Formats: sequence, structure tokens, C-alpha cells
Amino acid sequence: VVVQHVHFDGLGRTKDDIIMYEICDVFKAKNLIDVMRKSHEAREKLLRLGIFRQVEVLIDTCQGDDALPNGLDVTFEVTELRRLTGSYNTMVGNNEGSMVLGLKFPNLFGRAEKVTFQFSYGTKETSYGLSFFKPQPGNFERNFSVNLYKVTGQFPWSSLRETDRGVSTEFNFPIWKTNHTLKWEGVWRELGCLARTASFSVREESGHSLKSSLSHAMVIDSRNSSILPRRGALLKINQELAGYTGGDVSFLKEDFEFQLNKQLLWDSVFSASLWGGMLVPIGDKPSSIADRQATYLSSFFVVFVFYLGGPTSVRGFSMYSIGPQSEGDYLGGEAYWAGGLHLYTPLPFRPGRGGFGDLFRTHFFLNAGNLCNLNYGDGPRAHLQKLAEYIRWSYGAGVVLRLGNIARLELNYCFPMGVQSGDRICDGVQFGAGIRFL
Amino acid sequence: AAEPWPENAALYQQLKEEQILLSDNASSLAVQAFLQMCNLPVRVVCRANAEYMSPSGKVPFIHVGNQVVSELGPIVQFVKAKGHSLSDGLDEVQKAEMKAYMELVNNMLLTAELYLQWCDDVTVEEITHPRYGSPYPWPLNRILSYQKQWEIRRKMKAIGWAGKSLEQVLEDVDQCCQALSQRLGTQPYFFNKQPTELDALVFGHLFTILTTQLTSDELSEKVKNYNNLVAFCRRIEQQYFEGHDKDNSSSATSRSAKRSLLR
Repeated sequence: VVVQHVHFDGLGRTKDDIIMYEICDVFKAKNLIDVMRKSHEAREKLLRLGIFRQVEVLIDTCQGDDALPNGLDVTFEVTELRRLTGSYNTMVGNNEGSMVLGLKFPNLFGRAEKVTFQFSYGTKETSYGLSFFKPQPGNFERNFSVNLYKVTGQFPWSSLRETDRGVSTEFNFPIWKTNHTLKWEGVWRELGCLARTASFSVREESGHSLKSSLSHAMVIDSRNSSILPRRGALLKINQELAGYTGGDVSFLKEDFEFQLNKQLLWDSVFSASLWGGMLVPIGDKPSSIADRQATYLSSFFVVFVFYLGGPTSVRGFSMYSIGPQSEGDYLGGEAYWAGGLHLYTPLPFRPGRGGFGDLFRTHFFLNAGNLCNLNYGDGPRAHLQKLAEYIRWSYGAGVVLRLGNIARLELNYCFPMGVQSGDRICDGVQFGAGIRFL
Repeated sequence: AAEPWPENAALYQQLKEEQILLSDNASSLAVQAFLQMCNLPVRVVCRANAEYMSPSGKVPFIHVGNQVVSELGPIVQFVKAKGHSLSDGLDEVQKAEMKAYMELVNNMLLTAELYLQWCDDVTVEEITHPRYGSPYPWPLNRILSYQKQWEIRRKMKAIGWAGKSLEQVLEDVDQCCQALSQRLGTQPYFFNKQPTELDALVFGHLFTILTTQLTSDELSEKVKNYNNLVAFCRRIEQQYFEGHDKDNSSSATSRSAKRSLLR
């Protein structure tokens, strides 16, 4: 057969050129099965642009004067999204909950550009953000976005409250099987004490600073799902250089995240993960508490990358309560590593099998990690030694609940070990909710 | 019983040379004078973020042992709880009088200083904005000074000073100095033989006004009109600050020389 015409019904403001890129493969089909398959693929590609609510495909023989005996017409019936859509979500971040209201202008100028405004009202503080997204026509995975945001948070483990107001622009592009992101970010950070009783070390960090940084991230993800994957691996490597494009904060940050999953007998999955990172201040000013975090704009959560401990990190310890501290306020560190080994099995006796019960898994784990500050003067060997002594570790078992494709809840019974003086533990039952777990 | 005063007691204020403003310098000097008068040594630490470190948002604050106390009033109370006081010898009437004069200085002199710094356009542009934002990179320096200016102007509106002109403010300063001068008379200190926190407060403000270079001399001239006040400042400087140059904001330079604390 040969595909003679491809029709589109229902296009309004969408421009023709981006549509052409997505459906050009359909013309190359040689037989009916091929036409059906390529049309289905084209439909998937059109849906991922995020500009259509519905795409339906009709394949029919060609009519009309120029019709060939084996000619086919493929018609895509599409419904464009409205110019303005609203949304309401509840988000669960790393042990925080919030209500997020969103306004979206999809397909603003006809080429899948998108403007989003999000407002998040959380258990701790409120945040908002405005972002503009534009993909390259024909190459949706290559895109750039510009974001403006204000994220606030309260962090009782450090007696710290923080307000970040920033602007960032990022480019995403795939190279072979990897996904790269290049980003420039300018943030005005304001730190303050959460309580009168905050330690003096945290009080000394109060005030304002301006960070202007360039960062690059690479992600290779072959897992079948990001929450409770059954197979595949994840490798994320991130680096950030601050200080050479303005601002008064100067550092070089490197961190990585690795995860490997393998399916075993009887529906069980073995998973291993390793995290690590290093924060090197440049110049004579020491690094600040605020440098030890990363902000996830899509969810307005501040993630404490250079902190250790808690239900999403080394389990059995209190939230971010391992390592350097002052008067009970945890300050994080400049170098860390953390690893975990997990075995996930179905619930014993498999209740609710085939339905609700499949969302739950039993979970046996072994976690370990260490965190320290860099002593400028000591060489790398001394630091590796520091990270290798006084390792904190824990083991235990529990139940994991998967929430859609976004989050996961855990209820574990933990045995913390290798506890050093100053660490706060949570032995026994520990509950955790979040997106990113060790 | 007097509790021991720790060796490492520290007083925090903004950076002396480039950043601190007239009003904050006056407040800091008042606290330093008070602690000197109580014979409690304290070292002065300058930090660009002193204002944000302070629990009340105002400088100076002292870090004594584990505690952090800011502003003269609470510091006087704190020091009293540790067993040191300058006003114990006063009777109830005198104490009330002292409080009244301290209120006068805070409501008149301090507010006039704030007005001059933040509401007089020439001073704001030439002195306040460059100094206030100096430790920060662009554009943060601009944002922070405008934010502070907006906050102070709102406060001025709330207390009814927004409508005042510079001349009226200087008149108020003059009246305040007249009241202080009359109360001081020919005595060495406000309550005759012994200095009290009132002396520390008045010294802090008047000395700073006299030794700070602004865009014009009008403010310091108002104080200079009263000889006994100038002599009072010199006397306290000599007695409590000479010989302690390293850490204090005044030094043993010639008493009549103008030491630029601003610019």
C-alpha cells in the first residue's frame, strides 16, 4: 500500500510545521500493518507534545480523482487543549506535603510553547513560580525553559528558614541514550533562624547572598518506572560551578546518583543504590549551609543533597540528623556518600492480588553512609579516610506503598548502627514519604 | 551575687569602614560605652550580616556565653540580671527621669538620624545607598537598600514624620539637645557623680553625630551649639575609650579632629 494523504481535523492555533515533523514517518509505511504501527507511533508523538487533549486515527482507502488502487488516507482527529487550563494537585515531597494550584497556557504560540504558573501552599511555607517552555519543532526532547521563582522553606533540623528568589534558564538535549541539561541560575538567598534557640553557627549564616551558577546534569535512565522499578539502571551526574558569572558565592559542586535493579525469582526485585558528592568552596570564604541544597522547581521542594539521615536517606536516623552539628542544629557536610541494598517482595500471602495489593511491597534494606567537612589543607587521601571511618549504617524491614508514578510511602522497622555522638536516631518504627529514596 | 562575665563576650555590628550607618554606629557606641562603664570587657566583631544575625533585627547585639541579646534596653536588663548595674544608686524619681530622657533620645535623636539617612534624598543617594549595599554584589546591593528605605519610610509615615521637612527635623534635634544640655548643666554626668545608661546613650548618639562626616554640617552644628554637651562627649571619650583603641570605634586621635565614621 501507499499512503497518499494525511489529513488533520481540529487544528486551530497549532502551526503546521511542528505537526509535519511528527507525522512524516507515516508516509514511509509499506503495508497495512506498517501504516497502523506508524500511525500509532505518530499519535504517541503528537500526544507527548502536550498540546492535544485527544488524538484519534482513522485509516481509510483513498477516494477522489488521483486515488491509486492501493492508496490510503490517514486522518488524525485531534482536540486541542483549551488556551488556559487550571490544575490542583497535592504534592508529597521529602516529608512535606503541599497543595499546588497551577495555571497553564499550553501551546501558546502554536508550536507547543507552554507558560505555567504554579502556586504552592505547604505545611511549611508558600512558594510560587512562573515558567516558559519551548521545545524545538521536530525534536521535542531538545527544549529550553526560563523560570522565575520564589521558594520558601522551614528546616527544623538546622533551625533554619530560607527564602530563595531566583531566575533560571535551562537547555535540555539528548545525546544518544543520555539526557543532558545545561542551566544558568541566579538566586537571591535569604537565610534566617527558625527559633530564638538556634545555634550561633546557624545565626552566623543569617542574611543575604547572591548565587549565580552554571550547572550541567547528565541522566541515563533505563528503568521501567521511577518509583519501585523492576529492572534497569539509573545514573545521574550533576556538577555546578558558582561564582564566575556574578554573585558572591563561589564553589564547585559534584554529585552523583546510581541505582541498579534486577528482577529475581518469585516476583521479587533486588535493588542497589549509591549516592555521593563533594562541595568545594573556591576562594577563602567557607561554604554556606545554603550551598548544601538543591531546589527542585517542578515541585518547589528544597532537597538537602549534602545532608544525611532520615527515612529517605540512611533509614533509622532522624531527618538529616547525621554528622557535623552545633548545639543540636545539623549543618550538613561538604563530602558524603550513601548506599543502600534492598530486596522488594510481594506482601506475605499476597492480599488483594491483582488489584490494590499490588501497590504494596515488602521491603528489606541495608543502608550505610558517611558525611564530613573538607579540611582545606588535607589531601584527598585524608578525606577518603575520614569518609571511611565512623560509617553509620542501619538495617531493617518494612512495607512500601507506591503512589501513582510520583511518590512512595514507607513504613519501616529500623535498627540504626554505627551511631556517633551527636547523631539523632529513630530506631524502631519510621515513616517516610517522598520522591527520592536511598 | 555577680555572675562571672565570660572572657569571649563579643559585640556584633556592621563593617566599620565601609558599611555602618550613622544611627547604627550611634547605637553600637552607646552599648560599648555602657559596657565600659560597667567594667565588662567585650570585643567588637564586625560582620556584614550583623543586622540579620540579630534576634530583633537591630544592631548591636552581644553574644555572651550562650545568649544573644540585642539593643541597649534589653542589654541593660541582661547585665543587671548578671549582677551589674549603673543605676542602682538612683531613687525612684531619678529612675523615672532617666527613663524619660532615654525615651527622648530614642524618639527624637534616633528618629532624626534615621530621617536624615533614609528620607533626605541627597544623603540617601550619596551616602546611605552606597554604604548600606557595599558588602553585596549587584543587583543585591540595590535591592537590599531599596527594601530598607521602603521599610524606614513606612515607619516614618506611621509616626507622622513623613511630612516633616529637613529644617523641622533639625529644629527637633536642637530642642532635644537643649533639653539634654539643661539637664546636664555643669555636672560631669547626668546624675552627678556616676555615669548611668543615660550617659552611655547620650554619648553614643552625640559623639557619633559630632564625628561623622555627612553631606552637610548642619546636624553636628546643632550639637556644637551646646558647649557642655561637647565637653561631656570629650570627657567620656577620654575616660572610657582612650587606651582601648584596638577594638573601639573611637580612637585616641585629637579630640577636635573630625573622624570620618561615614565616608
